Amino acid sequence: MQSIISDYNYWIYILLMMIGLYAMLAKNNLVKKVIGMSIFQTAIIVFYVSIGAKEDASIPIIAHGPGHGAVEAAIDVAHYANPLPHVLMLTAIVVSVGTLGVALAICLGIHRRYKSLEEDEIQEQL
Amino acid sequence: MIWQLDLSILSLIVVCAFATIMVKDLLSAAIIFGAYSFLMCLLWTELGAVDVAFTEASVGAGVSTVLFIAAVHQTSRIVKPRKSGRMLSKAVGLVAALLMGLVLVIAEADFPGFASPFSPASLHLSPYYITQTLHDTNVPNIVTSVLADYRGFDTMFETAVIFTAGLAVIAILRRYKRDDSTEIPESYTISEGYPDTIIRFVARQLVPFIQLFALYVVAHGHHSPGGGFQGGVILGASFILLAISFDTRMIIGLMSEKSNILLGNIGVLIYAGIGFLCLLLGANFLDYSILSKVLPATDKIMARSHGMLGIEIGVAIAVMAIVISIYINIISHGKYDKG
Repeated sequence: MQSIISDYNYWIYILLMMIGLYAMLAKNNLVKKVIGMSIFQTAIIVFYVSIGAKEDASIPIIAHGPGHGAVEAAIDVAHYANPLPHVLMLTAIVVSVGTLGVALAICLGIHRRYKSLEEDEIQEQL
Repeated sequence: MIWQLDLSILSLIVVCAFATIMVKDLLSAAIIFGAYSFLMCLLWTELGAVDVAFTEASVGAGVSTVLFIAAVHQTSRIVKPRKSGRMLSKAVGLVAALLMGLVLVIAEADFPGFASPFSPASLHLSPYYITQTLHDTNVPNIVTSVLADYRGFDTMFETAVIFTAGLAVIAILRRYKRDDSTEIPESYTISEGYPDTIIRFVARQLVPFIQLFALYVVAHGHHSPGGGFQGGVILGASFILLAISFDTRMIIGLMSEKSNILLGNIGVLIYAGIGFLCLLLGANFLDYSILSKVLPATDKIMARSHGMLGIEIGVAIAVMAIVISIYINIISHGKYDKG
């Protein structure tokens, strides 16, 4: 019970991943499949950012005095969230819009040729 | 971190995910997906990942939703049910999803405790970044310094990936007049629509401020959340706003296909060029500290800060051009026409 309450971020990411995979496999419409893919992607991002979170930690921007070069004497590592997963996921989100564009372009190409976005109707024409 | 807030946002996210998958209208699905992305953005802020939140707000809730709506607009809106084998496909999907869930639940037992400062991910590399960033680069935003300096290679190839994605969309969709054999029927092209004065006026007044804000985001990414990716997406979104409220043709007049590809190239080249400049000056690829030799009145530390600004500008130009290019291709069905 304790782990269920304390690790809810992990449980939600598993749930989102399952929803995304189900949509990719079971849905008939291609745009729905693309949405499923995006949900799958965000599930992985939830996982990474959850790993980087720290209890009672601030955002990963170092508080510094006025003017440049005013370095604080000691920087407490536990006081700032882990920046590494943030960097990885930031670029992952931007790349995801690229992959989304390509996926939608392929959907449009299929629709141009088969006049349909439904998987079974396209398969009939193949 | 407030766990009550965290939990309520997460449950709303799951509700949104279910609703996007289940709803029969694709336009509603696209809009619910936008709400889903926005909730994600709140979640990132709540977990302390402000840069990720900024990116999600501009990319996920902004541009992705617009791309979905554009694609739905160009195709059909209603989802038709499968004619046969509905139960089979549902059963296969459910079994696969449940199996994967089971494996992940078993794996979850070995995960480090959530939000623990002593999880392995936070013990090895990130303490160096957190403690040394100000000393090494004089950039207080750790995410920016890791993105543009410590992991500069990674980001350079991410930019190249986005550029490639833009090229792929053009390769798939672009149609030139002469080989335009598969003409889409008239019902799929969009009517001109009536010019709405209020929308046009507001959009025209807003665009300069949006672009100014985008430039601020690019330039101030060292000290606050933001940077090249977010600024570039916001710049691209300002052009998309014009395209939606006026006419796609007008945007093509402002940003033609040629200039879009050229700008994308220039953006990636600025990034790689700064890397090669470092190489030419006798340091490693993308080692900005050597730039102090050519930049006036900078020491090695400030040179790294300025080098980061340079590559952020390159990233912003590339991302802006590619976002506009993808949007124009999808909305005009590759014909660079009205839409």
